[in-house]
Amino acid sequence: MSGSRLPLRWFLAGLLLAACARPSNQPAAALRVVDDAGDTVGLAGPAHRVVSLIPATTELLFALGAGDQVVGRTVWCDYPPAAQAVANVGDGLAPNLEAVLARQPDLVLLYRSPHDADAAARLHQLGIPALQLTVDRLADVPRLARLLGPLLGRVQSADSLARWFDSALAAVSEPAPTRRPKVFILAWDQPPMTIGAGSFLSELITRAGGENLFADLPAPSGNVSIEAVAKRDPDLIFTQASETPTFAKRPEWRSVRAVREAHFLSITSSAFSRPGPRAPEAIRELHAALVPWMR
Amino acid sequence: MRLFAQHLTVRYSRLGAPALEDVSLSLGLGELVALVGPNGSGKTTLLRALLGTVPLESGRVEIAQRALAAWPSRELARMVGVVPQREDLLFPLRVRETVALGRYAHLGPLAAEGEVDRRVVAEAMRRCDLEQLSERKTDTLSSGEWQRTRIARALAQEPKILMLDEPTAALDVRHEMEVFELVRRLVDEGLAGLIVTHHLNLAARYADRVVLLSRGRIAGEGTPSTVLRRDVVAGVFDWPVAVTAWSDGSPQVVPLRPREVGAGGPDAR
Amino acid sequence: MDALTRARWPLLALAAAGALLVGVAVGAVPLPLAAIAAALFRNAGPDAAIIRDLRVPRVLLGFLVGGSLSVSGAILQALIRNPLADPYILGLSGGAAVGAVAAIALGLASAWALPVAALAGGLLTLALVYRLSLADRRRMDPHTLLLAGVITNAFTGAVLAAVLSLSDAARLRNAFLWLLGGLSGASWEAVGALALYALPPLVLLLWNARWFDLLVLGEDTARHLGADPERLKRLAYFATGLIAAATVATCGMIGFVGLIVPHVIRRLWGPLHRPLLPAAFLLGGAFLVMADALARSVARPIELPVGVVTALLGVPLFAVLLRRSLS
Repeated sequence: MSGSRLPLRWFLAGLLLAACARPSNQPAAALRVVDDAGDTVGLAGPAHRVVSLIPATTELLFALGAGDQVVGRTVWCDYPPAAQAVANVGDGLAPNLEAVLARQPDLVLLYRSPHDADAAARLHQLGIPALQLTVDRLADVPRLARLLGPLLGRVQSADSLARWFDSALAAVSEPAPTRRPKVFILAWDQPPMTIGAGSFLSELITRAGGENLFADLPAPSGNVSIEAVAKRDPDLIFTQASETPTFAKRPEWRSVRAVREAHFLSITSSAFSRPGPRAPEAIRELHAALVPWMR
Repeated sequence: MRLFAQHLTVRYSRLGAPALEDVSLSLGLGELVALVGPNGSGKTTLLRALLGTVPLESGRVEIAQRALAAWPSRELARMVGVVPQREDLLFPLRVRETVALGRYAHLGPLAAEGEVDRRVVAEAMRRCDLEQLSERKTDTLSSGEWQRTRIARALAQEPKILMLDEPTAALDVRHEMEVFELVRRLVDEGLAGLIVTHHLNLAARYADRVVLLSRGRIAGEGTPSTVLRRDVVAGVFDWPVAVTAWSDGSPQVVPLRPREVGAGGPDAR
Repeated sequence: MDALTRARWPLLALAAAGALLVGVAVGAVPLPLAAIAAALFRNAGPDAAIIRDLRVPRVLLGFLVGGSLSVSGAILQALIRNPLADPYILGLSGGAAVGAVAAIALGLASAWALPVAALAGGLLTLALVYRLSLADRRRMDPHTLLLAGVITNAFTGAVLAAVLSLSDAARLRNAFLWLLGGLSGASWEAVGALALYALPPLVLLLWNARWFDLLVLGEDTARHLGADPERLKRLAYFATGLIAAATVATCGMIGFVGLIVPHVIRRLWGPLHRPLLPAAFLLGGAFLVMADALARSVARPIELPVGVVTALLGVPLFAVLLRRSLS
């Protein structure tokens, strides 16, 4: 029957095209996904030996119940505590490929950056599926959960995590505050550096009911004048120092009211720097610290 | 006012031969002494020893009855004007400004230039025929003009002693003669002059005394006629020469070509 | 003398005064002139604290830093007889950087830890390079000095690179931001501290300006003309070293000013140091204040690194001057 020949020809042509399209891995990929660099990556089946080179995804994998499938992590992956038992393969950016390969992974998760584009290409050449992921915002948490779920054979827990995350975020943002306290995020003091609106920390502060003092900053981060800080008069200064910040003793900061009155918010938990499942908890903590300023 | 150098010995390295050995020299006002000798005979070293820029193994130098070590640099610069062989020209100045540098020893760090200084500078430039070149930048000068500028700078110091190290090394005949004439004129006007030169014949015609150095030692000292004898010159410079007399009585050295040796040519001594 | 040359001192004084005014009038926070006047003269207005405690000290610091670096650069160019010398060429910057990074790595808590450590590192390097530069008979040899400075910079650069790759990269990367140079740490205390370290050497250098005219001719010639080269070399080295160490400790490394301003002044005033040094101080001060004003206001509220602005402004200005003097 002529009808059945046509599909066969198209099918063969399709296979040929698919084989030429990516000079990469498995001949028969059952799972396909497009990563954040636009590359299509395929796996033969759910991954059982995952090397996660991003602290945020390490947390996510454990939260999905896939902790046993993680065989390699970076030196910075310290949460949950169980993650510290996993083999340490060194740095996440510009990773040590030898250490990664020694873990015999069937999936590698890398942070999307110029440093890692080379590593990803090398891994592709060696036939190892490697995903470059952007993990910068709150929205990335449920998105990546849904992306990685099928690749780990954890579709259901991924779905429920994503739904839990979205509703937890909604809950913690209620009710809307009457006044939003102005928070100055001090990333570094000499020279003064702050973080703009597009970043994770800024999002956390906004969700917690506050307002980033430099939400109008055109760049994701930048050096600012102390003058500008003094003029904008923040209610609180957010730092990631562990005790009373030393910059406060320097004379040029005395012109900022929040420094004179010692209104510092000192937060060191890594939950504030990694978009991960602990975000709702972090927002609750922030909210509690900001409530006195909302009147 | 005399400059006395007695039994100077200078050794650059502890193990090698001395650059100067037991050299004595004396120089007074109105006298022009020419220091001659082959390369490496110690002429520049002797100049350095007389100025204290090289340490002495033994011997002493005295200027105006005062030991050299007792002369602070500023005072010494008001007594001795030196025109060195080599000089850096990193940031070119105008001729007038260069000559004015000679006044620094008089002015010190703070005093402003006064009428006296301007007059001395103008006079030094006049004596060296530099008036037309006053505003020219030194990197645009010819070798002769640059040399005259440096001599004028030394004159601006108002020294009693003038020392020149190979002042005509790169100059053509005209400029060479101009420099020697200038130096002779200055000595006749009362300065003491010491000139290190390769030019035996001009030294013979212009200098009152000649000091001939060979391998760090004095090979001859006295009037040009006494020192520049055929056997002495040939021995020191290791080349056959003939010596003739010029119309003013000074000996003129003529180096011989190999085929001319022994074949004659006027033999003055 | 053409008209421009005749008017050069008044123009320079005007430029310096103008720069100071612009520096106070302009900033990350746009303020009307009336408010600025009120703040300065009557200490009144809501922004008085900003003007008096942030802008005025910052402008004064910028002027002092720019001026000292320019004088320093001019003297170093005379000392090593090389027109490419700048205040950091003798290895101090590397030493100060290692000091600063060590302070951060050790987690030193004091607010002044960074500047003090940078100063200490700079001074130690100063002593080390001096020792290295002594040739026979304990005389400082400028060629050896230059070489010692270059290798010290290379060595400290390697130490820094090693420390950076082995440690908590984020904190130390931020240390490098500081070293890139900026006046954000300006306060009245900082101005006072810098004045204490930089003014005495500046005064000494200005006092001895004339002798440097002789030093550029070569040491022997300088001695014949009445200078004391050994004393001058030591003075030049330690004075410029102290100035460089103090400016790095206060505000990191601000490049380009110390290298270029002396050359600009030489084209307009000639190379004699009695006019060169004060003119370089005024022009360098004015230039840095203007560059900083621009850095603070062109992309507000973001501040550009001031070293970037000095290069972007300085190169075209210098090119114009070069063409004018060649014609």
